[in-house]
Amino acid sequence: MSEPVSRVAPTVGATGPAPRAASGRMLVSAVLLLAAGVAVPWLVGSQLMLTLMTQAVIYAILATAIGFLIRQNGLTSFGHAAFFGLAVYLLALNGKFDLVPAEVAVLAAIALPAALAFAAGLVIVRLPPLAFSMITLAVAQSLHELMLRWRELANGDDGMPVRLPSTLFGFGVELFQSPSTMFVVCWCALVLVVLALAALSRSHFGVLTVAIRENEERARYIGYQTLVPRAVVFAISGAIGGLAGVLFALYNAFATPGALHWSLSGEALIMAVIGGAKAVWGPPLGAMVFFVVKDAVGDLTEHWPAIIGATLIVVTVMLPHGLSGLVERIVRRLKDNRP
Amino acid sequence: MTGLALEGVGLTRRYGGFAALDNVALQLAPGEIRGLIGPNGAGKSTLMDVLCGRGGPTAGRVVFNGNDITGLSAQARRRAGLARSFQKTNIFPDLEVRKQVELAARMAEIDNTDEVLDVLGLSELGGRRAADIAYGDQRRLDLALALVGRPSVLLLDEPAAGLSIKESLVLARLLKDLATSWKVTVLLVEHDMEVIFTVSDRITVLNLGKVLAEGSCEEIRANTEVVRAYLGSSFE
Repeated sequence: MSEPVSRVAPTVGATGPAPRAASGRMLVSAVLLLAAGVAVPWLVGSQLMLTLMTQAVIYAILATAIGFLIRQNGLTSFGHAAFFGLAVYLLALNGKFDLVPAEVAVLAAIALPAALAFAAGLVIVRLPPLAFSMITLAVAQSLHELMLRWRELANGDDGMPVRLPSTLFGFGVELFQSPSTMFVVCWCALVLVVLALAALSRSHFGVLTVAIRENEERARYIGYQTLVPRAVVFAISGAIGGLAGVLFALYNAFATPGALHWSLSGEALIMAVIGGAKAVWGPPLGAMVFFVVKDAVGDLTEHWPAIIGATLIVVTVMLPHGLSGLVERIVRRLKDNRP
Repeated sequence: MTGLALEGVGLTRRYGGFAALDNVALQLAPGEIRGLIGPNGAGKSTLMDVLCGRGGPTAGRVVFNGNDITGLSAQARRRAGLARSFQKTNIFPDLEVRKQVELAARMAEIDNTDEVLDVLGLSELGGRRAADIAYGDQRRLDLALALVGRPSVLLLDEPAAGLSIKESLVLARLLKDLATSWKVTVLLVEHDMEVIFTVSDRITVLNLGKVLAEGSCEEIRANTEVVRAYLGSSFE
């Protein structure tokens, strides 16, 4: 009954000839990337450049969170800044009111967005994609307005400092505020997040959530409960957004309502789309491209967002799987042409 | 215990004032292949939905292996061994063939992935993305997702839809073999009468939400009411 078809696209949960070899390759790549990240501060002399790169890596983590949600749930969040900003403000408010040790606050700033995402996910992941996107946007903007207007709590538009103790997890706090060391911390966090998500996407849970994304009804009729796995994906995505917020708060030691603003969610989403969400490493790639364009074109013209917009249009129209999809296609072609 | 594999007792499904099913009774013996036929709008798919938990009946009960499962979800029914395939191909397009059968097997008590892939001729396509295989293969993959774990009852909603005559007959033979060797009870909705009369032990005819007739293939062929309402004069 079967007919030969064109070369297949890369699939989720691909077994391939040797999944173990793929895992080994992944691990080797991660070690090399970690080593490369450690070497960057020695190779890049400019502190300004390192500051920019550190910010880029933090936003790359946020974009990775959005990409994971798109990849596993097929849902687009327009309000992921809610998790990012929530973590930032949790650390800032903990510093202001001295509620719990800073280490506990750091962990809570990751766990709380995850818990909120899970609870909200049980309700909103069932909604049509557009309604889901709108609700995430509305929640994030509500939090933004809350922090903007509740001056007694968060000092409104003026923002508030993130007061930290002199040591955190046994490290001097200056480690988190110097671009040369914080870049390494953020880079390691990004690599580990990408590695963990890649492993997760190959696991039973990863395959199941993609199956639910593809055909929720069929997943139910082969016996699976479909709501909780989708809410868990949203929770993991929220936790990663919270992690990005923690790193941002530690590095900048300052919280403003901008950390909750829709424009931050939008930028992170653009990064994920440009990089492509089908590959776990697509959104970080998109973040790098975003910051390179912003930096390079920003020196020439103040209208750099127009270039980003044009890039987004070109990628959306011509590269449905983003730049990572293009890279994968080129690599596949090179492999095919190898004698 | 009733000794029946699946029983529908007084099943009624109303949509406002319209009764898609009206006091339908259905009794399937273990290992039986039951054909379910009727004109469009007769209530065949609604009956399948009610039996598998896609939509509850307005009145009546569904009894599976002696247990009342009327209140169980579709997931729970599948885990208990009541599986179904769909009128439209219902697979996971972006997943590899083997991956999705393995996924289905994980929820079943028996992991017979290799056996199912082999029986349905999908072994060689295991590494292929489901969206990239031919339509006939996708239909068999849909069937594989229902068959994995050796369910005791299988509800098949037009499995031969869109298949060629040759493919339909291959499928019919396959169903017959499975019912015999795996002792699966099958309720088969199909418009292809060649398939229905080839594989069915008994046939139930629905019309306007009610059971019009029930009997062996010969009895249904000879039933003038059925011929008039559905089969047409070529079967007389």
